[in-house]
Order: sequence, then structure tokens, then C-alpha cells
Amino acid sequence: MSQAPSRPRKFVLGHLLGLLVVAAAAHVLTVWALPRLIMAEVLRVTRTEGSTSADGVLRPPPADHTARRIVMPSPDLLYATCSLDLSERPAQITANIDYPRYWSIALYAANSDNFLVRNDREHGARPLRWMIVSRDSVSPVPETRNVEVIEAPGTRVLLLMRMLLPEDAAGRAAAEAARQTLRCG
Amino acid sequence: MSKARWVALYAMAVLVGIGSAWLWLTRVGPSGIDAGVWRVNLLAGSPNADAYTRARVALGALLALDRRETLYYIARTDERGEPLRAQCRYRVSGPTPAARWWSITAYDEDFFLFENAARRYSVNVETAPRDAQGEMAFEVGPAAANGTTADLPTTGDGSLLLTLRLYNPAVSLQRAPDSLVAPRIESVGNCG
Repeated sequence: MSQAPSRPRKFVLGHLLGLLVVAAAAHVLTVWALPRLIMAEVLRVTRTEGSTSADGVLRPPPADHTARRIVMPSPDLLYATCSLDLSERPAQITANIDYPRYWSIALYAANSDNFLVRNDREHGARPLRWMIVSRDSVSPVPETRNVEVIEAPGTRVLLLMRMLLPEDAAGRAAAEAARQTLRCG
Repeated sequence: MSKARWVALYAMAVLVGIGSAWLWLTRVGPSGIDAGVWRVNLLAGSPNADAYTRARVALGALLALDRRETLYYIARTDERGEPLRAQCRYRVSGPTPAARWWSITAYDEDFFLFENAARRYSVNVETAPRDAQGEMAFEVGPAAANGTTADLPTTGDGSLLLTLRLYNPAVSLQRAPDSLVAPRIESVGNCG
């Protein structure tokens, strides 16, 4: 006939189980939180530095060895970024991109997921008019015409525009002119 | 055992949890599909990514695009299975990938670009040196003893990472990324 564990033994076993649960919870929380913390910092820096331009867009120079903010930058692309806060109102995005090479505009959620991307072939040469609204927003979506309404998962969104950067000076000037048309409001 | 010791043990359990997550994310190789020595993760940037993939992408390839837009193949070893090192010279060769546009970029072990006076950080469909058959053929590594620089210069003695980006890859590659006829990475000469 087996005896029930003594009280001190129960106490130690309970704590050992507690230690395992705490370690596992810390492990899972770290994996879950890392992309969100990194994105929060990217959104914060983009918002801070983008606020110095009148249109809220951050336009960094082409990536070289001194670009050390976003890992694995592509030196072949010209970027433009906006940090969007949809908590109080939708974001209005406009651009008139007349550029004969690859470009795309991607939207990233606060957990780093790329929930939308549109490239030059898909969009064509027509003006880009987007209204980005949060799925979490309780505010009614304003009436709009000729504007594409895009739903975002959450209230914080990073917009990233990529433009293929050629070697020649004329092509680079065309890329720069095209990215200057982006407005985030 | 005193209460203070239990508190210390619980604090240590938290550190073990955080440390094990960090080691798993940074030391265990990412999952994915292989094409030669190149590995591609089809969930990079995807809302369908699992938590580990999302965390690894945030640490090493933040703001990736989904596979319909871009496939990111990453090589960390040469054809013999030896880890790529910045102080070694490699020849990269192979047919043109089936994509609208492609590039190969060299990254230092911290995932940033190598400093070099020539400011050459990548080769792409327009700039890649080619052989007589029209296939890409170029060298990655430090300057040779006679002073000649590689097409993709590296510096230092840390790890080297090569990333092949395929923009708007062919549908066949999107469906079967392992069907890529992957560029070969072969060590040439001695390491410096």
C-alpha cells in the first residue's frame, strides 16, 4: 500500500513544476514579443524621423555599409517608409508613380506580418489612392470615391515603398522623382 | 529552503526561458526548403508564419515580402558544406534564375553590408559578370595578394552570408522553390 507524499515533498514538487511553467512561459513570451518589440522600435524611429518632412515620409539614402538600422538592407532598392497610426482616423496614402522599373508598396502589421503588397504590374500607371482603416476601429469609414479602402489588422502599420535602383544617373533620378510623389497623411 | 532562495530560483527560471528562446532563434538554423546550398523560408513575411519563423525573420530579415513577390534564398555554406567565411574567396556560378529581377548580396555576420571602398555590395541581373555561356560567374571575398578586389568584396574574418533575392519569381518557382537551379558556391584559393 503506497503512502501519500509528505507535505514538504509536495511543497518541493509543486515548486519544481512552478519553475518549469515559469521557464516555459518566459520562453514563449520572448518568441512572441521579439517581432512586436522590434517593429515598435522601427515604427517609432520612422515616425520620429518622418515627422521632420512635411509629408510624413522618411526617404533614406540608398543602403550602403553605414545603413545599420534594418537588417539585410538591399543596396539595389530605394526605400520610402511611413509610420501609420490608425487609432483615431484612417490614413490617406497617395502617389503618382511614373517609373518603368519594378516598384512595390508593402504594408506591415505591428507583429511584422506583411499583410498587403502591390507592385507596378498589378497597380499600373494610374494614380495610387488608398485609405487604410483599422479592423479594430469603431469609427465609420468616410465616404470615398476613386479610393481603395484597405483594412489593416490593428492600429499601427508600417508602409514600405521599394523602387528598383538602376546604375545610371538618369535612372536613379527617375526613381528619386517617383518616390517623392508618395504622401502619407 | 528560504523564501529568498525560491525567489532567486524563479528569477533564474525566467532567465532560462529567455535564454533558451534566444539560443533557439539565433543558433538553430531556420527551417525551410533547400535548393543546393541555398535555403528559402516560404513563410517569411507571411501572416501564416509560426511564432518562431516570425521571430527569426524579425531578427534576421525584417520586413520581408511574401513568396509571390519575392523569394529570399540564403546560403551559409559552400558546396563542400563548409561555413562561408569573410576571409575566404568563393566563385559563384550558375544559370540565370527564372524571375523578373534578381540579385545576390553579401552580408557580414551581423546581417549588414561589408564596408568596401568600391561600394560594391551586390550583383544583379544587370551587373553580374557572366561567362562565355551567359551564366553568372563572379567572385566573392577579400582582396587577393596582388591587390585585385573581388566582384563582391568582403572584409574581416567573421561569417559570410549570401542572399539571393528573386523579385516576382516564376510561378513554377513559387510552387516548387527547390526546383531552382541554384548558383554554386565554390571555394577558390586559400583563406587569407
